[in-house]
Amino acid sequence: MPPPIANQIRRLRFEHGEMTQSELAERIGMTRQTVAAIEAGKYSPSLEAAFRIAMVFGVGVEAVFQWRGEADGA
Amino acid sequence: MSFREISAWISLVTVGVCFGVYFGLIVSGAVSPRGLGAVHLLLLCVGALVVLQIGSHAVAARLAPKDARAPRDERERLIAWRAQSLGYYVLMVGVLALGAPAHFGHPPADLLNFALLDVVVAVMTVAVAQIVLYRRGG
Repeated sequence: MPPPIANQIRRLRFEHGEMTQSELAERIGMTRQTVAAIEAGKYSPSLEAAFRIAMVFGVGVEAVFQWRGEADGA
Repeated sequence: MSFREISAWISLVTVGVCFGVYFGLIVSGAVSPRGLGAVHLLLLCVGALVVLQIGSHAVAARLAPKDARAPRDERERLIAWRAQSLGYYVLMVGVLALGAPAHFGHPPADLLNFALLDVVVAVMTVAVAQIVLYRRGG
Protein backbone atom coordinates (compact mmCIF):
# COMPACT_ATOMS: atom_id res chain seq x y z
CA MET A 1 0.00 0.00 0.00
CA PRO A 2 1.47 3.44 -0.90
CA PRO A 3 2.21 5.79 2.03
CA PRO A 4 -0.65 8.25 2.75
CA ILE A 5 1.50 11.24 1.89
CA ALA A 6 0.93 13.50 -1.10
CA ASN A 7 3.69 15.69 -2.49
CA GLN A 8 4.08 18.68 -4.77
CA ILE A 9 7.56 17.90 -6.03
CA ARG A 10 6.59 17.68 -9.69
CA ARG A 11 4.88 21.08 -9.60
CA LEU A 12 7.71 22.65 -7.61
CA ARG A 13 10.29 21.30 -10.07
CA PHE A 14 8.29 22.78 -12.91
CA GLU A 15 8.08 26.14 -11.14
CA HIS A 16 11.84 26.12 -10.55
CA GLY A 17 12.96 26.29 -14.15
CA GLU A 18 11.75 22.78 -15.00
CA MET A 19 14.38 21.28 -12.75
CA THR A 20 15.02 17.65 -13.68
CA GLN A 21 14.77 14.76 -11.23
CA SER A 22 18.52 14.24 -11.68
CA GLU A 23 19.27 17.84 -10.72
CA LEU A 24 17.09 17.61 -7.63
CA ALA A 25 18.64 14.24 -6.75
CA GLU A 26 22.14 15.66 -7.02
CA ARG A 27 21.28 18.62 -4.80
CA ILE A 28 19.86 16.45 -2.01
CA GLY A 29 22.44 13.66 -2.34
CA MET A 30 20.13 10.95 -3.62
CA THR A 31 19.72 8.94 -6.78
CA ARG A 32 17.35 9.98 -9.56
CA GLN A 33 15.41 6.71 -8.99
CA THR A 34 14.80 7.65 -5.36
CA VAL A 35 13.52 11.10 -6.32
CA ALA A 36 11.25 9.43 -8.89
CA ALA A 37 9.94 7.02 -6.22
CA ILE A 38 9.28 9.90 -3.78
CA GLU A 39 7.56 11.94 -6.48
CA ALA A 40 5.38 8.99 -7.48
CA GLY A 41 4.35 8.52 -3.84
CA LYS A 42 5.93 5.06 -3.66
CA TYR A 43 8.50 5.93 -1.03
CA SER A 44 8.31 8.21 2.02
CA PRO A 45 11.62 10.00 2.54
CA SER A 46 13.22 10.50 5.94
CA LEU A 47 12.56 13.76 7.75
CA GLU A 48 16.07 14.92 6.86
CA ALA A 49 15.51 14.24 3.15
CA ALA A 50 12.12 15.98 3.30
CA PHE A 51 13.77 19.09 4.75
CA ARG A 52 16.53 18.96 2.13
CA ILE A 53 13.93 18.82 -0.66
CA ALA A 54 11.98 21.72 0.86
CA MET A 55 15.19 23.76 1.22
CA VAL A 56 16.04 23.28 -2.47
CA PHE A 57 12.68 24.83 -3.38
CA GLY A 58 12.91 27.49 -0.67
CA VAL A 59 9.63 26.49 0.97
CA GLY A 60 8.52 24.79 4.17
CA VAL A 61 8.16 21.00 4.41
CA GLU A 62 4.37 21.32 4.58
CA ALA A 63 4.39 23.01 1.16
CA VAL A 64 6.07 19.92 -0.31
CA PHE A 65 4.46 17.05 1.63
CA GLN A 66 0.87 16.70 2.87
CA TRP A 67 -0.56 13.97 5.08
CA ARG A 68 -3.48 12.14 3.39
CA GLY A 69 -4.24 9.53 6.05
CA GLU A 70 -6.63 9.59 8.98
CA ALA A 71 -6.60 12.76 11.08
CA ASP A 72 -5.43 10.84 14.17
CA GLY A 73 -2.39 9.58 12.26
CA ALA A 74 -3.67 5.99 11.85
CA MET B 1 17.31 1.03 -14.03
CA SER B 2 19.77 2.02 -11.32
CA PHE B 3 23.26 0.52 -11.03
CA ARG B 4 22.29 -1.28 -7.82
CA GLU B 5 19.22 -2.86 -9.39
CA ILE B 6 21.42 -4.01 -12.28
CA SER B 7 23.83 -5.37 -9.67
CA ALA B 8 21.01 -7.39 -8.09
CA TRP B 9 20.11 -8.80 -11.52
CA ILE B 10 23.77 -9.69 -12.13
CA SER B 11 23.91 -11.47 -8.78
CA LEU B 12 20.69 -13.38 -9.45
CA VAL B 13 21.65 -14.49 -12.96
CA THR B 14 25.31 -15.36 -12.29
CA VAL B 15 24.59 -17.28 -9.07
CA GLY B 16 21.65 -19.02 -10.77
CA VAL B 17 23.73 -20.04 -13.79
CA CYS B 18 26.92 -21.09 -11.97
CA PHE B 19 25.27 -23.05 -9.18
CA GLY B 20 22.55 -24.26 -11.55
CA VAL B 21 25.32 -25.96 -13.52
CA TYR B 22 26.94 -27.29 -10.33
CA PHE B 23 23.76 -28.75 -8.81
CA GLY B 24 22.52 -29.88 -12.24
CA LEU B 25 25.63 -32.01 -12.74
CA ILE B 26 25.51 -33.33 -9.17
CA VAL B 27 21.79 -34.20 -9.23
CA SER B 28 21.94 -35.76 -12.72
CA GLY B 29 24.76 -38.00 -11.53
CA ALA B 30 27.22 -36.72 -14.14
CA VAL B 31 29.55 -35.87 -11.25
CA SER B 32 29.59 -37.88 -8.04
CA PRO B 33 28.87 -35.67 -5.00
CA ARG B 34 31.31 -37.70 -2.90
CA GLY B 35 34.40 -37.72 -5.09
CA LEU B 36 37.15 -35.20 -5.71
CA GLY B 37 35.35 -34.36 -8.97
CA ALA B 38 32.65 -32.51 -7.02
CA VAL B 39 35.29 -30.38 -5.28
CA HIS B 40 36.91 -29.52 -8.62
CA LEU B 41 33.50 -28.73 -10.12
CA LEU B 42 32.67 -26.51 -7.15
CA LEU B 43 35.97 -24.63 -7.47
CA LEU B 44 35.36 -24.21 -11.21
CA CYS B 45 31.84 -22.86 -10.63
CA VAL B 46 32.97 -20.47 -7.87
CA GLY B 47 35.81 -19.26 -10.12
CA ALA B 48 33.37 -18.73 -13.00
CA LEU B 49 31.02 -16.88 -10.63
CA VAL B 50 33.77 -14.51 -9.49
CA VAL B 51 34.90 -13.80 -13.08
CA LEU B 52 31.31 -13.31 -14.32
CA GLN B 53 30.39 -11.02 -11.41
CA ILE B 54 33.52 -8.87 -11.72
CA GLY B 55 33.18 -8.67 -15.52
CA SER B 56 29.45 -7.86 -15.46
CA HIS B 57 29.84 -5.24 -12.73
CA ALA B 58 32.76 -3.66 -14.60
CA VAL B 59 30.61 -3.36 -17.74
CA ALA B 60 27.65 -1.98 -15.75
CA ALA B 61 29.91 0.53 -13.96
CA ARG B 62 31.36 1.66 -17.30
CA LEU B 63 27.87 2.30 -18.66
CA ALA B 64 26.86 4.37 -15.59
CA PRO B 65 30.08 5.46 -13.85
CA LYS B 66 28.49 8.23 -11.79
CA ASP B 67 25.74 5.92 -10.55
CA ALA B 68 28.28 3.21 -9.68
CA ARG B 69 30.53 5.56 -7.69
CA ALA B 70 27.72 7.19 -5.71
CA PRO B 71 27.20 5.90 -2.16
CA ARG B 72 23.89 4.22 -1.36
CA ASP B 73 21.17 6.72 -0.47
CA GLU B 74 18.60 6.11 2.30
CA ARG B 75 16.14 4.24 0.05
CA GLU B 76 18.85 1.97 -1.32
CA ARG B 77 20.11 1.24 2.22
CA LEU B 78 16.54 0.41 3.29
CA ILE B 79 16.08 -1.91 0.32
CA ALA B 80 19.39 -3.65 1.05
CA TRP B 81 18.46 -4.05 4.72
CA ARG B 82 15.00 -5.48 3.97
CA ALA B 83 16.35 -7.89 1.35
CA GLN B 84 19.17 -9.08 3.61
CA SER B 85 16.74 -9.60 6.50
CA LEU B 86 14.64 -11.85 4.29
CA GLY B 87 17.76 -13.70 3.11
CA TYR B 88 18.82 -14.20 6.73
CA TYR B 89 15.55 -15.97 7.57
CA VAL B 90 15.88 -18.20 4.48
CA LEU B 91 19.43 -19.06 5.56
CA MET B 92 18.34 -19.83 9.14
CA VAL B 93 15.44 -22.05 8.04
CA GLY B 94 17.82 -23.91 5.72
CA VAL B 95 20.39 -24.40 8.48
CA LEU B 96 17.75 -25.77 10.84
CA ALA B 97 16.39 -28.00 8.06
CA LEU B 98 19.86 -29.55 7.72
CA GLY B 99 18.98 -31.56 10.80
CA ALA B 100 16.60 -33.71 8.72
CA PRO B 101 19.15 -35.19 6.26
CA ALA B 102 21.63 -35.50 9.15
CA HIS B 103 19.03 -37.45 11.12
CA PHE B 104 18.42 -39.81 8.20
CA GLY B 105 22.11 -40.61 7.94
CA HIS B 106 23.12 -38.73 4.79
CA PRO B 107 26.90 -38.67 4.35
CA PRO B 108 28.86 -35.45 5.11
CA ALA B 109 29.31 -34.66 1.39
CA ASP B 110 25.52 -34.53 0.96
CA LEU B 111 25.14 -32.34 4.04
CA LEU B 112 27.76 -30.00 2.62
CA ASN B 113 25.82 -29.76 -0.63
CA PHE B 114 22.56 -29.11 1.25
CA ALA B 115 24.31 -26.32 3.17
CA LEU B 116 25.69 -24.91 -0.08
CA LEU B 117 22.21 -25.04 -1.62
CA ASP B 118 20.89 -23.13 1.39
CA VAL B 119 23.49 -20.38 0.90
CA VAL B 120 22.69 -20.20 -2.83
CA VAL B 121 18.94 -19.97 -2.19
CA ALA B 122 19.52 -17.27 0.47
CA VAL B 123 21.71 -15.22 -1.89
CA MET B 124 19.15 -15.54 -4.69
CA THR B 125 16.35 -14.58 -2.27
CA VAL B 126 18.26 -11.38 -1.38
CA ALA B 127 18.69 -10.56 -5.08
CA VAL B 128 15.02 -11.25 -5.92
CA ALA B 129 13.84 -9.21 -2.92
CA GLN B 130 16.06 -6.29 -3.98
CA ILE B 131 14.72 -6.42 -7.55
CA VAL B 132 11.09 -6.53 -6.35
CA LEU B 133 11.66 -3.63 -3.91
CA TYR B 134 13.42 -1.54 -6.56
CA ARG B 135 10.54 -2.24 -8.98
CA ARG B 136 7.96 -1.30 -6.32
CA GLY B 137 9.77 1.90 -5.48
CA GLY B 138 11.04 1.08 -2.01
